[in-house]
Amino acid sequence: MIELVRKIQVSMRCRKGLLPESICRYVSLFDHPLQRNTPLEEVRFVIFDTETSGFDLVRDRILSIGAVAMNGSKIDVADSFEVLLRQEAIGGKEAVSVHGILKRDLNQGLEEDEAVCRFLDYLGNGVIVAHHADFDIAMVGRVLSRRYGIKLFNEALDTASFAKRLEKGPYYNLAHKSGEYRLDNLCERYGICLYDRHTAPGDAYLTAQLFQRLLAVGRKAGIDTLGKLLLK
Amino acid sequence: MQTTTPSNTIVERVAADLGKYPPFDRLSLDKNRKIAASLAVEYHEEGEILFKKGEQLGRFSYMVMKGAVRLFDSIDGEEVLVDLCDEGDLFGVRAIFGTSAYLLSAQVVEESLLLAIPVETIKELVQSEPSVAAFFTGAIARSVQHIEHSLSEAIDMRRSLMEPGSGSLLANEALVVDQVRNVITCEPDIPIREAARIMSVNNIGSIIVAAENRHPLGIITDTDLRKKVVAVAGQVNERPVSDIMTSPVYTITAGKTVADMMMLMVRTKLRHFCITEDGTTDTPVIGIISEHDIVTSEGINPAVIMKAIMQSESVEQLSQEREKAEKLLRVYIAQDVAIHFISNIFTELNDALIVKAIEFSVADMKREGIDLPEIEFCWLSLGSEGRKEQLLRTDQDNAILYRDPEDEASRESAQRFFLELGKRVSAILVACGFEPCPAEIMASNPAWCQPLSGWMNYFRKWIGTPEPKALMNSTIFFDFRPVYGSTALALEMKRQINAEIERGRGFLQFFAKNALQNPPPLGFFRNFLVEKSREHAHEFDIKARAMMPLSDAARVLACEFGVTEFLGTVERFRRIGQLLPSFQELSEEAAQAYEFLMRLRTEHGLAERSSGRYIDPEHLNKMQRQELRDLFTTIGKVQSMLNLRYQLDYIRD
Repeated sequence: MIELVRKIQVSMRCRKGLLPESICRYVSLFDHPLQRNTPLEEVRFVIFDTETSGFDLVRDRILSIGAVAMNGSKIDVADSFEVLLRQEAIGGKEAVSVHGILKRDLNQGLEEDEAVCRFLDYLGNGVIVAHHADFDIAMVGRVLSRRYGIKLFNEALDTASFAKRLEKGPYYNLAHKSGEYRLDNLCERYGICLYDRHTAPGDAYLTAQLFQRLLAVGRKAGIDTLGKLLLK
Repeated sequence: MQTTTPSNTIVERVAADLGKYPPFDRLSLDKNRKIAASLAVEYHEEGEILFKKGEQLGRFSYMVMKGAVRLFDSIDGEEVLVDLCDEGDLFGVRAIFGTSAYLLSAQVVEESLLLAIPVETIKELVQSEPSVAAFFTGAIARSVQHIEHSLSEAIDMRRSLMEPGSGSLLANEALVVDQVRNVITCEPDIPIREAARIMSVNNIGSIIVAAENRHPLGIITDTDLRKKVVAVAGQVNERPVSDIMTSPVYTITAGKTVADMMMLMVRTKLRHFCITEDGTTDTPVIGIISEHDIVTSEGINPAVIMKAIMQSESVEQLSQEREKAEKLLRVYIAQDVAIHFISNIFTELNDALIVKAIEFSVADMKREGIDLPEIEFCWLSLGSEGRKEQLLRTDQDNAILYRDPEDEASRESAQRFFLELGKRVSAILVACGFEPCPAEIMASNPAWCQPLSGWMNYFRKWIGTPEPKALMNSTIFFDFRPVYGSTALALEMKRQINAEIERGRGFLQFFAKNALQNPPPLGFFRNFLVEKSREHAHEFDIKARAMMPLSDAARVLACEFGVTEFLGTVERFRRIGQLLPSFQELSEEAAQAYEFLMRLRTEHGLAERSSGRYIDPEHLNKMQRQELRDLFTTIGKVQSMLNLRYQLDYIRD
């Protein structure tokens, strides 16, 4: 209900010309939500990852976004996305040492609002897939709510939970051994070569390959529609 | 809708993958980036069909990034493998050259990551890049030839199977021997003279003696007439044939192949085989197969060599026959004769040669006044020969085992005699091309020419205190097999060893641990895992890295299950598979892997005139590479099975 009210509010602001075109275009895509019975072959998945200055949702900022699309079961290299963000409030040195993004690089990036608008253009109404998706989605969501007062409307799937669900069933308690479902460990388990680790597009590409394999496993377990995939 | 260009990082990554393999390795990074930006990454699971022969061409050509895809054709409803694509191979490229339907079917053999490159992208490349055009025309021409070749081979094979008698004997190992159908029989009470008359009238070399219901009772051959009638004094011609017939006659069922028959001839040392309805003497005769039927079309033939070895009168002759056998080996390998068949034949031939060498030595010693003591003894083959796996003439590994003499004096004289025998036999084997063992594990070494008590002292020590060095050395001794003399004595030793192992089961753990010393090189084709020693730099030690892990594993399991027969690695795996049902599938895989390795090593050794042990991976063809890679997975599985079974993770080095 609240969702619907929010959407109506956004549409009104669009009509008044208060929001950028990209945002309005993005929001209008969700007038007709994806059907639960859509076969997976017809779904466009957008596998994405963000690099951030830290893990504090309030204080830290997105430094880069990388994404690649999977149409059905094919990773479409042409349908990929990468952007660096110019952030004034860049985080501590630790973050830089992890992802190797220097201030100098970031200076060549886009402003946060433009970067996010471009990302939404790219994302469209695709189903978001990310490893530990909650955090990345929340980071993008913070920017959207701060700047435009909206949130992401896309359906989303976390590859870590998906892997857990396929391997152990939905009720397995991960609390005491979370390492088992880290991206590196999963990639190793599924025979995916690790490279370009800790860059947003690199991790997105790895996650995409992982998701591709998980989907194949899932298909055998009868997961063939969007509804079954998202457990909705 | 899309306003941005594709992600540089991802495109860069895919371009780097692409640029590792031809023809893209000749292109600039920039060109490869463009191609990468146009392609899709596909993941497929084992068994998936990518496209089928006759189907409309798709919009993509494929490159295998990981995994393997087989291309096959169907002839008369049967699948014929035409090509196997693995890492870096392109397929489905015919699409570029204007054909409208797929000529072959493609199926994923193991889970694969494929790059799907739009046909349009490749078409553009062919037009703009001469090197790419050359690559594709070359590849297409080659593959067309390849397809034609594979197909004509398959068709030939089919034809020869349908028309027995065509082609060479060896090429048609599966060929069924043409039996003589109009078998002439005679009754047991007719006179020998009458039998001889029937034989000469019908111009046959043998006659089956049968009861009224045509059940075979025996056989008379030319040889019988020569040896038992003509050469014997007195009136025998009127005696009944039953007096001189060989009885019972060896019976088999119909439908035996040339290979079966050669094996049978070598094993039984017989020359005539009677075919009955159910293969026993209790049903009517329906045919006969003689040595002549099997041999006629082929000059060089194991049965002939076998006979020549057994009839050799000098070491020189023996050596010549072994040379002939080597030629036979070449023919067999070249014609892809089944490896189990080859190794059975060569074990028999080598054993016969050893027996002959022993007979020569004993006779020589007798002539010199050194008499064979009346002590039960046994000549043992060790290591690969002990496992019936010695196809090439690699080093000798042998030993002598004899019954403990009763007193000190006869103990000394026995030792003196057997050591002398060991030296002489070993020298003859050297003359026949079997090099001496560099580690001197030979019957000519006093340490390995021992009475049963001596041997059991060794084995007890190895089993009781399995230190690594002793273990490594002992693996060769655990593969002993009696070749001459008392098999019973060798069996007795085997039983004692098994009992010893049973007593201290900790030994098996160490033995198994030893079997894990050479882990399979899983990264084989990514960066050839090659031997570091200078002489064999860039080469791969197939014996240590692939064969030993398997033969070691089979030995440990055979020990655990107390298998007393003298078996080779392949038979050991099969036997263990029967005894341990959970291991059945893997053990069959391991057996096949080992047969492949034996063939590969033999092929290589024959080509290089070497032991075949070191192989340059670059020289392997695609099928061999594919097979090798699968086989490393099998070795890995066998090793982790051992690891689990003997809980080796708990043992520290």
